[in-house]
Amino acid sequence: MTGWHLADETLRRYAERTDSLAEGASVEQHLLSCGQCRAQVNAAVDVIDLAAVWDRTRDTVEVPRPSMFERLLRVVGLPAHEARLVAVASAFRGVWLAGTAAVLAFAALAAAVGHARGLWLFLAVAPIVPCLVVASSYDPRVDPALAPELVTPYPALRLVLLRTIAVLALALPTVLLLGLFIPTEEPFAWLLPAVGFVAVVLAASTWVSPLRSAIVVSLVWLALVWLLEAQSGSPVAVLQARAQAGFLALAAASFLIFLLRRRRLRQVRPWR
Amino acid sequence: MDSRPGDETLLLAVAERDMGAFRTLYERHAGWLAIRLARRCNDRDLVADAIQDTFVAVWQKPQGFRGDGDIAAWLWGIAIRRLVSRLRTRNSVAAVLENAGAAPAAEDQVLLSVEYGDIGQALSRLSPEMRAVIQAVVLDGLSAKEAAQLLHVPVSSVKTRLYRAKAHLRAALAEGPS
Repeated sequence: MTGWHLADETLRRYAERTDSLAEGASVEQHLLSCGQCRAQVNAAVDVIDLAAVWDRTRDTVEVPRPSMFERLLRVVGLPAHEARLVAVASAFRGVWLAGTAAVLAFAALAAAVGHARGLWLFLAVAPIVPCLVVASSYDPRVDPALAPELVTPYPALRLVLLRTIAVLALALPTVLLLGLFIPTEEPFAWLLPAVGFVAVVLAASTWVSPLRSAIVVSLVWLALVWLLEAQSGSPVAVLQARAQAGFLALAAASFLIFLLRRRRLRQVRPWR
Repeated sequence: MDSRPGDETLLLAVAERDMGAFRTLYERHAGWLAIRLARRCNDRDLVADAIQDTFVAVWQKPQGFRGDGDIAAWLWGIAIRRLVSRLRTRNSVAAVLENAGAAPAAEDQVLLSVEYGDIGQALSRLSPEMRAVIQAVVLDGLSAKEAAQLLHVPVSSVKTRLYRAKAHLRAALAEGPS
């Protein structure tokens, strides 16, 4: 440290920003190397609430570092608190995702090796995976962390949609990838029904719990596939062009209902 | 300085996850950093956010300081860049150098002529835009791209203004005292 220090008057002008650029630059250069003058400037801080910022800083460093996924969401541009809300969904916990992937992989494998029921299994399972994952991503019973979140005055619609999109961004590529191994002309025919079921679950969750609606949707779908298989001997029938249009209509109608009834999302909480 | 632990010692303690040392470091540096940032950005909330980001970064990576130079200078380098990246995500806020236009008072001229010769006067004759660029690039050591984000102008403008400002200064200094 030099013996030279800034005059009180100079420091005051600096803190009040009434000095010139050259003087300010001179002060700043000196401050970098002089703890004593820094301490004097610190005493005059009125630009921000240092104690409040300290509290926030400490809170931030004391919570565990955000998960990889959460950091990814922030990179994509989601504000920190929303990234946290989206990321805490249980569907993102590794175990859940790994389990889902395992079931799908099993079905895909069975189809790939030409097992008699393999294709049937994949076509039956693939369309309902996304809606089950979505439902569990915001069902308070699956995810206890959600209950207080939905009580807070946070737009439930935004939360549910954000999570849905995030979940689909994770689940769809997995299923798509597995679909590549399926020996059929239309390996991705299940996409539209999958989207349709997600929309149905969203709409239904304005009445009942999302998980319950997802389970009902899944059961109905399985029954339908089973029926058709018994009738025509091929489950692919349910995914033909005419049926695809029906799924599209289903998706559109359900999403419309969901949007119209979005206020109910909060009123039905906490889904007991 | 006396018996208090130096900043280097504090930083080592922070690396050992010592919250007390972290707090001391914050108390020593957050204030002047905030004032210095506030001279570059009028939005107090953004300044507060940048200060928070800075110290969170310090906590997460205290080993980023490689032992060269002052810790204060290292902290400032983090802080100004955090401010820039905060500004980038919120492009509605304008960073302005409010007072850049004020001419130095008579007693300042004395101080300046002692410390800078005629540079002080030469700087005060620049337009506020040019001074802002000089401050960001020359004094704060930002890259042209970072300066552009801080000042909300295209990178090309930063480069032109810097070029012109340097030419002005050169001419003013060659002219001699007026």
